[in-house]
Amino acid sequence: MRMRINILLPLALMLGISGCSNQPKPLYNYEDYSDKYYASKINVGEASNLELQKSMEQAIEHADNSRSGRVAPGMYANLGYLYLKRGKAKEAIASFKQEKGLYPESAHFMDRMIAKIEAAEEKK
Amino acid sequence: MNYKKMVLLPMLAAAALFVSGCAPAMVSKGEKFPMMYEEAPRSLLILPPMNESTDAQAKDYYMTTIEEPFAAMGYYVFPVEMVSDIMKQEGLYDTELLYQMPLDKFNAYFGADAVLFTRIKVWNVSYAVIASSLSVAIEAEIVSTKTSQKLWSYTGAVHVDLSGGNSGGGLAGLIANAVATAINTAAADYVKYARIANARLMHTLPAGPYNEMHQKDQSVQLYDQRAKR
Repeated sequence: MRMRINILLPLALMLGISGCSNQPKPLYNYEDYSDKYYASKINVGEASNLELQKSMEQAIEHADNSRSGRVAPGMYANLGYLYLKRGKAKEAIASFKQEKGLYPESAHFMDRMIAKIEAAEEKK
Repeated sequence: MNYKKMVLLPMLAAAALFVSGCAPAMVSKGEKFPMMYEEAPRSLLILPPMNESTDAQAKDYYMTTIEEPFAAMGYYVFPVEMVSDIMKQEGLYDTELLYQMPLDKFNAYFGADAVLFTRIKVWNVSYAVIASSLSVAIEAEIVSTKTSQKLWSYTGAVHVDLSGGNSGGGLAGLIANAVATAINTAAADYVKYARIANARLMHTLPAGPYNEMHQKDQSVQLYDQRAKR
């Protein structure tokens, strides 16, 4: 009987500890953005960029699965930049506006980028 | 008192003395980084890392790990890929020039309150038959674009033994170890450990405006790195 307690007690403690260490949700939901961003640096090309784009779209879709409930800073801007690189100017501008709306800290930079794209589009 | 206790107690006392003698100096965030609380920057412009390691790819790889932890600490972080491409276009990517730029330019162009400089000090695997190890060390610094004052800086380092578990003695064991080392080294993922180095840095960073701990974490204790130097 003594043996059994000796075994059970640490086990119970371990369970108790793991039960207590429920991590709070992160401030933002990034999904696997960092992994996909890294993958796009290892295998540079269209395919890995598309994977990265999907990851960002996922993170935006599930932004509420976080403490803030907001899309992470820079996420819309990074996504807009990917759109821009694929020649989707309209989508890029829309994303940059989202970034600016969510984070006023980015307004100065986003306005600059939007003006650049619009100027380039007019020349076309 | 039996023999065991007679030996053990002085040994424990000696060990306690030894430990306290070696313990690094502790300091609070508020004491160490008062300017961070005073200026309270909202936004961080993450500049392309400066690579002081021997691995040419370290810069591109490390860059993919920075946004998330600094955002999670409550700062607005500018989109890293866009910023680094702009630096490339301006001819500022792979040069020391970037680090000599007047900081108010970053405020004028991006509207950033502060810039984040990162230096990759160590990013390598040392190969040996019996025990290989991987090391990553990152030095990070936040500097105000308004006053050019250094607001925060710290170094995060990770050192991992890649040899795997001990697979027993004898020649067979040695060979098995060598094989395990080769396999583990091939799979060595720097980025995984760079993230751990980042996490160690984050522990010392005063929380930004989007984090619940903003202006409330002055008493958090950290190792005073400057004391060691």
